[in-house]
Amino acid sequence: MTMETKEGADLHDIRLHGRGGQGTVSAAALLALAAFEDGFESQAFPKFGSERRGAPVEAYVRISRSVIRAHNQVYTPDAVVIQDAGLLRSEPLLKGLNPDGLIVMNATEKPAGVDNGFRWICLPASQIGERHIGRPLPNTVLLGALAAGTQWVSLTALERAITNHLASKGEAVVNANIEAVREGYLFTENDEALIL
Amino acid sequence: MKQLLEGSQAVAEAVRLCRPQVVAAYPITPQTHIIERLAKHVANGELEAEFINAESEFGAASIVLGAVAAGARVFTATASQGLLLMTEVLFNIAGLRLPVVMVCANRAVGAPINIFSDHQDSMTLRDAGWIQLYVESNQEAADSIIQAYRIAEACELPVMVCIDGFLLTHTFEPVVLPSQVEVDSYLPAFQFARSLDPARPMTLGGGSEPDNYQEYRVAQHDAMEKSQAVVEAFDADFEVQFGRACGGLVQGYRLEEAQTVLLGMGSLMGAVYDVVDRLRDQGQAVGTLRLRCFRPFPVQALVQHLSSVQRIIVLEKAISIGAGGIVATELRAALQQAGIMTPVESVIGGLGGRDLTPEVIEEIFKETASSGIDVINRFAPNHIINGEAHHG
Repeated sequence: MTMETKEGADLHDIRLHGRGGQGTVSAAALLALAAFEDGFESQAFPKFGSERRGAPVEAYVRISRSVIRAHNQVYTPDAVVIQDAGLLRSEPLLKGLNPDGLIVMNATEKPAGVDNGFRWICLPASQIGERHIGRPLPNTVLLGALAAGTQWVSLTALERAITNHLASKGEAVVNANIEAVREGYLFTENDEALIL
Repeated sequence: MKQLLEGSQAVAEAVRLCRPQVVAAYPITPQTHIIERLAKHVANGELEAEFINAESEFGAASIVLGAVAAGARVFTATASQGLLLMTEVLFNIAGLRLPVVMVCANRAVGAPINIFSDHQDSMTLRDAGWIQLYVESNQEAADSIIQAYRIAEACELPVMVCIDGFLLTHTFEPVVLPSQVEVDSYLPAFQFARSLDPARPMTLGGGSEPDNYQEYRVAQHDAMEKSQAVVEAFDADFEVQFGRACGGLVQGYRLEEAQTVLLGMGSLMGAVYDVVDRLRDQGQAVGTLRLRCFRPFPVQALVQHLSSVQRIIVLEKAISIGAGGIVATELRAALQQAGIMTPVESVIGGLGGRDLTPEVIEEIFKETASSGIDVINRFAPNHIINGEAHHG
């Protein structure tokens, strides 16, 4: 049986990988909220595992022009966001990625021995995150890079999503994350990121 | 206003709009976000209610039993083992004809322990005397909560709104939340004629002897049967006021001249609709029927929709160990009683959170051999990625 067809009629499916504590699930929510701000239908959900700090975490985002009815995991993403390059050693992070798919990774270089043929954006997201947030949090930096590399969501929408979604964490956290998402975006747009 | 909300948020906001006076719960994954948000609303003064963090689910159910008996509108939520721990109290709530509304964030039951979604927990409570509504989206979750209070209070029957854990509770998707004014006009304030009051002393929960116990049970069954019309009527009212409905008792999709119909419940239906569209585009006469109201079991509505179909498949996320598919078994009885001899294929899948993808659902439509589990039940196939079975 063939089971590799793309589900539904989604515009963009994104899979995010990280470790517990890196804000992977929050990043998925922010991305979906931004797409929604931009006028798309969207959906975000985590791959539901035990919630442990440091353990591999997966989350998914669907962006569509029409109502999203399915509630299945994303198996054939158009982009993969990798918050910790070390996960490549143990997890099949690129599984199902569309042949012309994009990888946005928290790293300064593309790791050796991984599948070629995909488009990669690599940037030191933890360092950028630490500079703004005070902790090596790569999530909003990578969202900025994804937005710059794809134009699937606007930077303004991401900023608005951060402002609304993180409001309960206080103004300082909101502002730090807005700076982080902007730097991730500009870093990529200005070709400072390693783009392959 | 349309917002992107996590299912738990949508549920908690809908509950807040219904103005419950007592909320009692004990945390359990994947229900916890609902109760956390309600606790916050109470703490912030956004919901005027007594919030009681119970010592167990048994305690939470007992608290809402007492509070509703005293005339308060109440809410609780749980899942899985938590629901099973409530079991004794849930039978009592139903037998006492108390209009409690609760959410079951559907999750598998142990052993083996598993936090992911299937329908085994609430379906196991099918004989408890609760109306059970299974929702397919976060929008319907929110809307069904509002309808549930009106149904419960009109019928003096408890209502369990069954919402797939994680698949809905932890998923952000667009939801329109009604305003307080709109909800107030749909849902009248709770006036409980039998509420406990020291000024009018009476006994609640007295004993019953063999000479009348059976009559109480039959009266309860009659009330459940009659609630079918109420579930439909209040959904129709809801549509008039809010411009969207939840599907009443059963909801058909592309049933016109359908020869094969797949029946299912809950959030898996979204993928089923996508598959039905795809197969229809290929010229196949397929359709689907969603069972929203599992209790009371809407025999007439099911018969009406399935009387001229050639092939019926029931896909369900629970198993009665030792008997097989629950909905399939009940549907066979309903059809046979109506003189319809169409075989019902019983497919069990999605247990413990295994993903029922569009590809898997398409296979279920294709595959006709009734083999796999036993002579009458078969398992849904597994999702295949790059030639490998995916069990997650």
